[in-house]
Amino acid sequence: MKADAVRGHLDGLLLAVLEPGPLHGYAIIAAVQRRSGGALELRTGTIYPALNRLERLGLLSSSWESAAGERRRRAYELTDAGRATLAGERAAWTEFTAAIGAVLNPGPQRPGLAT
Amino acid sequence: MSTATRRPDPVEEYVSELTAALHGPAKAKSRLVEEMRGGLLDTAAAHAEDGASEEEAARLAVREFGTVEALAPACQHELTIAQARHTARTVALTAPFLLACWHLSRAGDTPWQALAAHLALIATAAAMLAAATLAATGTLARRLPTPHRLPLAVAWAGTTASAAMAVATLCLTVAAALATNWPLLAAAGILSAATHAIVATSARACRRCVGLNLTKPVRG
Repeated sequence: MKADAVRGHLDGLLLAVLEPGPLHGYAIIAAVQRRSGGALELRTGTIYPALNRLERLGLLSSSWESAAGERRRRAYELTDAGRATLAGERAAWTEFTAAIGAVLNPGPQRPGLAT
Repeated sequence: MSTATRRPDPVEEYVSELTAALHGPAKAKSRLVEEMRGGLLDTAAAHAEDGASEEEAARLAVREFGTVEALAPACQHELTIAQARHTARTVALTAPFLLACWHLSRAGDTPWQALAAHLALIATAAAMLAAATLAATGTLARRLPTPHRLPLAVAWAGTTASAAMAVATLCLTVAAALATNWPLLAAAGILSAATHAIVATSARACRRCVGLNLTKPVRG
């Protein structure tokens, strides 16, 4: 999928990969790419302002973490509001793909609807 | 030393270009830039682990990241909102000073005092708008879309408050010189001068960020 197509779903992707636990920027990118099998084209830099915005909205919280001898990294974590928003994004996506799928791949016509 | 002939590191070159392109509160900006630099270095390290040379790894990381031109608008948008919130907080925190100033200056009956009292009320209204902005750009923004022009409104509310307080300071100085209860008016004048000084700097920074955002359209 092209970068432009992915952009509209970035918030949902970020929230979803953070569901299992806190991650820092690069680990978030790696998780998105791993889960999508590398099929999603993402300008990796775009996640940083997006994470900033999701934190401002209260969907994520973040803190600096540093391991001994390493540069510090900012780790992000889902908040309760973030979990609720993710559930909403999932429901909306399921509904959307079901509706588009029904049009693109119509099943056998129901008798009452034949013209 | 051979460093003079070495080509600059692509990651550091990218980071300086990004730093130059963005404006906003120092803390928010340095945090964002540090995170993005860390992301580039982590990506480059992953490429190096896969066998790329150090320079090639850094070049690949920068290419995958997206150009500064492409990323700067979204980053600047966040920094502009951070600056608007910073300015809004400053203006909102001056509200008690403004009310004290209004209270002190309306005590007298000279036209100078009346004018200063009106100006303090105008500035108080700006402080209330600023407080509303803090709410609208925070968690409330999950439910309400943040109006595109809100940072502009904050920039001008801050400017109005600071200009009103500058004129109020002048009025109160004149009134204090003419009045018998001059210590009270002088106190009000000091409050208004202090408010002007605090708000003016932040409002100027906010106008600068808004100017950047208006010239660079924000996507997404």
